[in-house]
Amino acid sequence: MKSAPFDYYAPQTLEAAVALLSRFDREGVDAKILAGGQSLLPMLAMRVARPQVLIDLGKVSGLDYIRQERDTIAIGAMTSKRSAEDSSLVRDRQPLFHAATKLIGHQQIRNRGSVGGSFAHADPASEYAAVAVAQDMQIKVFGPDGERLIPASEFFVSYMTTSMAGTEVLTEVRMPVLPTGSGWAIQEFARRKGDFALAGVAVTLRRANGLCADVRISAFGVSATAVRFPAAEAMLRGQAPSPELFARAAAAARESLDEPMNDIHASADYRRQLVKVLTGRCLAEAASRAA
Amino acid sequence: MMTKQRTRITVNGLRYEREVEPRLTLADFLRHELHLGGTHVGCEHGVCGTCTVLVNGRSARACLTLALQADGTEVTTVEALRDRATGQLHPIQQAFVDEHGLQCGFCTPGFLMTTLELLRDNPDPSDAEITEALGGNMCRCTGYQSIVASVRLAARRLRETHGA
Amino acid sequence: MATEIPRLPEQMPTTALRYVGKEVKRIEDPALVSGTVEFIDNVELPGMLHCAILRSPHPHARVVRVDTRAAEAMDGVAAVLTGEDVKRWTNPTITAPAGWAGYCLAVDKALFVGEPVAAVAASSRHLAEDALELIAVDYEILRPVATPAEAMAADAPVLFEQHGSNVIQSRTYTWGEVERIFAEADHVVSNTFRWNRVGANPTETFGCICQWDLSDNSLTCRGAYQTPGFWALGRAMSLNLPTNKVRVISHPQGGSFGGKGGPRGTDIAALLSRKSEGRPVKYIEDRMEYLMAGFSQSWDRHYEASLAVKADGTITGFRVKLLDDQGAGAEGYGTISVAKPLAAFTGNYRIEAAQYDTTLVVTNRAPTGPYRGYGPPPHFLVLESLVDMTARRLGMDPAELRRRNYIRPDQFPYTIPSGNEYDSGNYEAVLDKVLRLADYPALRREQAAARAAGRLVGISVVNTVEPGVFDWNAYATVGIQGLGVPEGAKVAVDLLGNVTVVVGFNIQGQGQFTVAAQVAADYLGVDMNSVRVTMAPTDTAPPSFGQGGSRLGVAVTGAVLGACQKLEADFRRVAAHLMGVPLEQVELMDGRLRIRSNPAAGMTLAEVAGVMLARSDLLPPGMEPNPQATSVWTAAGRNMPDDQGRCRSYLTAANATHVVMVEVDRQTGHTDILKYFVVDDCGTRLNPAMVEGQIQGAVAQGVGVALLEEYVYNDQAQPLVTTFADYLIPTIHEVPMTQRDFVVTPSPVTPLGAKGCGEGAMHTTPAAVICAINDALAPLGIEVRETPASPYRVWKLLTAAGATG
Repeated sequence: MKSAPFDYYAPQTLEAAVALLSRFDREGVDAKILAGGQSLLPMLAMRVARPQVLIDLGKVSGLDYIRQERDTIAIGAMTSKRSAEDSSLVRDRQPLFHAATKLIGHQQIRNRGSVGGSFAHADPASEYAAVAVAQDMQIKVFGPDGERLIPASEFFVSYMTTSMAGTEVLTEVRMPVLPTGSGWAIQEFARRKGDFALAGVAVTLRRANGLCADVRISAFGVSATAVRFPAAEAMLRGQAPSPELFARAAAAARESLDEPMNDIHASADYRRQLVKVLTGRCLAEAASRAA
Repeated sequence: MMTKQRTRITVNGLRYEREVEPRLTLADFLRHELHLGGTHVGCEHGVCGTCTVLVNGRSARACLTLALQADGTEVTTVEALRDRATGQLHPIQQAFVDEHGLQCGFCTPGFLMTTLELLRDNPDPSDAEITEALGGNMCRCTGYQSIVASVRLAARRLRETHGA
Repeated sequence: MATEIPRLPEQMPTTALRYVGKEVKRIEDPALVSGTVEFIDNVELPGMLHCAILRSPHPHARVVRVDTRAAEAMDGVAAVLTGEDVKRWTNPTITAPAGWAGYCLAVDKALFVGEPVAAVAASSRHLAEDALELIAVDYEILRPVATPAEAMAADAPVLFEQHGSNVIQSRTYTWGEVERIFAEADHVVSNTFRWNRVGANPTETFGCICQWDLSDNSLTCRGAYQTPGFWALGRAMSLNLPTNKVRVISHPQGGSFGGKGGPRGTDIAALLSRKSEGRPVKYIEDRMEYLMAGFSQSWDRHYEASLAVKADGTITGFRVKLLDDQGAGAEGYGTISVAKPLAAFTGNYRIEAAQYDTTLVVTNRAPTGPYRGYGPPPHFLVLESLVDMTARRLGMDPAELRRRNYIRPDQFPYTIPSGNEYDSGNYEAVLDKVLRLADYPALRREQAAARAAGRLVGISVVNTVEPGVFDWNAYATVGIQGLGVPEGAKVAVDLLGNVTVVVGFNIQGQGQFTVAAQVAADYLGVDMNSVRVTMAPTDTAPPSFGQGGSRLGVAVTGAVLGACQKLEADFRRVAAHLMGVPLEQVELMDGRLRIRSNPAAGMTLAEVAGVMLARSDLLPPGMEPNPQATSVWTAAGRNMPDDQGRCRSYLTAANATHVVMVEVDRQTGHTDILKYFVVDDCGTRLNPAMVEGQIQGAVAQGVGVALLEEYVYNDQAQPLVTTFADYLIPTIHEVPMTQRDFVVTPSPVTPLGAKGCGEGAMHTTPAAVICAINDALAPLGIEVRETPASPYRVWKLLTAAGATG
């Protein structure tokens, strides 16, 4: 299980990285960005990915940070997941993102894995993608034409596919500070702790005069990309929280799943069931947290 | 294509400089370039944790790290544990021996490195914290119970020697 | 031999045991925790090449043409091996029954995805894998045989054309008056079961370094070899070498559990060495290769079974029909695992009649290989599940039903209907102890409360017999008429009294080197840490089989004791001669040859050994200056099977009872193991800590079988599980931390009364977990009859019963 051969570059600036991508794009050379490598290296070992060139962002300065900018938390793409996990800022101000981080793999994966990498890799089972669509995150990319912000709803296009151009580098992810008094929950169902989720759900909501407000429900691991459940969210808006309401919303989430994935660990129907179950459980957990 | 490039890695306190193929993993670099065979390879796709080493003090799967990515880093392997001068086992190693925390020993170096990281961060871990920390290392022989006992014992002994 | 081997530790010549029976630390461990042990991939030899293997992507295909020219021309490639070479230079692999395997490379046909088709030796593994991509193979795709039903269909493609059929063997054993007993039964309890493929997956895969010496046409193989002598023989036969020209040097292994494999890899590496002017060639099987095509897959079984039961709960008969999918041939000796259940066919029970109808077929799945337990684990899932069904039907508590049917302590040695003889046992004592440990009544009360709250909580009480220490007759039913498994050890005392024990196998985790040191140290009265245990390669080792069938702890103990007794006899003679007293006055005790009537007078071992080596003039006439002895142990009383396969095949019968409490999440089908209790009886525990380790480790593997592990193939015989992302080995989170106790019923027929225990809980845990799940589901009228009881499978059952949430 040795990788196919490739050339390797370790640029020191973002501009240099983008220049390399542009050059290889022009030359028709298959070049891939290497971030933490925790998703890419297994694919190289199995020779299911065979880029001719790897551009390692590990030496690019200025991509490793976690900071609050008013009501937004910005995390540099090459920040390790471990740093996000250890960050009191993330833990206190975006507990959903923090909890999602802790669900990813195992400690060793999080030590090396980058925050940005999960976004760029766009695995359907990515916890971050579900948080991104639930929280209307923005993804900052930098390319030959400069910098742009892509809303999460437009970023994840399909299975392992984003709307980034082949000449763009993901530089930062931006998430709103979770409003005070918000309830949140993220739960996933996997065969073993740390495995890819067969299904997972993320929820945030608030209470306005005791009634549900600003409900956001997303699922991961069930479709080609993370999905929101607007119908279920609408059902909850302005209603008093109750187990019956949550059960109906969970059923609505299940119904709105278009074509869940089907594999040896879980059929489409089973994924529907898991979405229903996890939605109900997450709503209850989030409600118990909401002030 | 695949021109060799230089990597400078400090391993167990010694600085090494080598020209390597980009596709060479840190695991293969340690084992076959530096002949440090204590870091074993179990799956080469980042699931079993057998190849766990510390990179800049943080546990990492050596099979999911390129030797070139490790340029400029400090890597710690199982070979660092035993006292070089006296040959005495590190308290973590001795605890594994005392509690029978190994059988075939192939996964053991990976567990030792994860334990080293855990006890540096958390000198008095609860059983739940020990279990959480060990979740990324697979053992096929022991069923984990004696490994937890080994880590518990190691923690206690390290606290005693450090006067904590 | 002068004296009989001690039947209990207390019979050794020591006033107080210091090591045997104690939880002494293992002598293997300091090197293992230091990472200095030479697993085979740590070895590099001058001029060494690296092997990579090109494997068939098709489950069934004719290999029409293999074009290796581009690969041969690639820089760094030393040699390329094809089916043509192999056909010219080797013989097909020997199987039992004969003729059910091909060569180490597919010659005319590839029979499973992953079968080796060509191989490369190059200056690095990286380059070798690159070179594989330059080999062009033309395949003619043939219709695959994906299931046993397809294998037995009239128009089935035939895998091994010389046999004309895909049925390896079809045999029914009948023991006792089965027809009458079933006809007269008050109840016949029947069911079907599906046990899906699982396998050993040691953390270290197979690896070897082979070097062909062209000057004298001999071969040296270093590697992760579990049974080196057997391997050397097999390689000599496949590679057309004289048996004394193949030398196998076994390296410490990172686990094995039977499924280490390697015959093809060894032959391929050996031939590449031959083709590379005799340079050593290293082959390290990677994990994907292991999962697809190593000896990594076992027990692909379809069962129909019944119990004949009297109204009072007495189980009188047991019928099993087994359809076993061996995969693409018998090269992994998967056939043996069908025969092994004869050693404990009726488990702990007094069942008087039984029948075993077996059909073994080939399909285009990977050939099956050995895995811990080697057959009985699936068999006990069937038996124990039927016993639980019987308990439910009769409204009896499952523990009490079992107790009623146990073989009684006064009935041992007990010959079961299938012919094996259980040496000893006290099943009620084990049951009582585990029920007490678990506080069984409290568990049932807890379950009742949980049920009232709508939770699916289940409890099982499951017991199994664990056969240990097989011998030459165990596999006669699958065509191996005799393959003795003698185990030898040489014990040497040097000039200064330090002891070295030489054996013919290497370590793989169970601690046999420590056992050997414990026994030698207590017998010879020396400090255990001064005993060195080392392995000799096959050309210089005493006869040795190595690990397998829970035999080695017992066998090596017997060999070491036998050697110590020979030393004792010689040392007594020398000491008597030197001290001028009659021989019968001299005894070995606590490391001294002392005079019975005056124990203060005597000589140390070191003194005697010193004289033997230094002063030949002082020795009694005829005494060789040789303070070392070799003894080869083998089980006594083994006999040839009769026409129904009956024979004394396994020397010891350990046993255990597990009590397990689980909860099934009715919304997701997920099973949580809440509590797990074990009481085992493996006779004398030579090193209790090591025994405990085997139990907990086997429980972990059993949980993997019951809940997580499965090799899945699609309907075109394509493997869908090829990495550790899909083959789910339990992590620390999935394994219950068991509570354990034990009973000791020594074996009357083994050295020191120990029984084989290495395979242990693997016999019991799959049944214990599945039976607990079925106890949880029983009120819903549904049951799990297929392993693993994955959440998805259980959820489907719940959904069909309208019971999901």
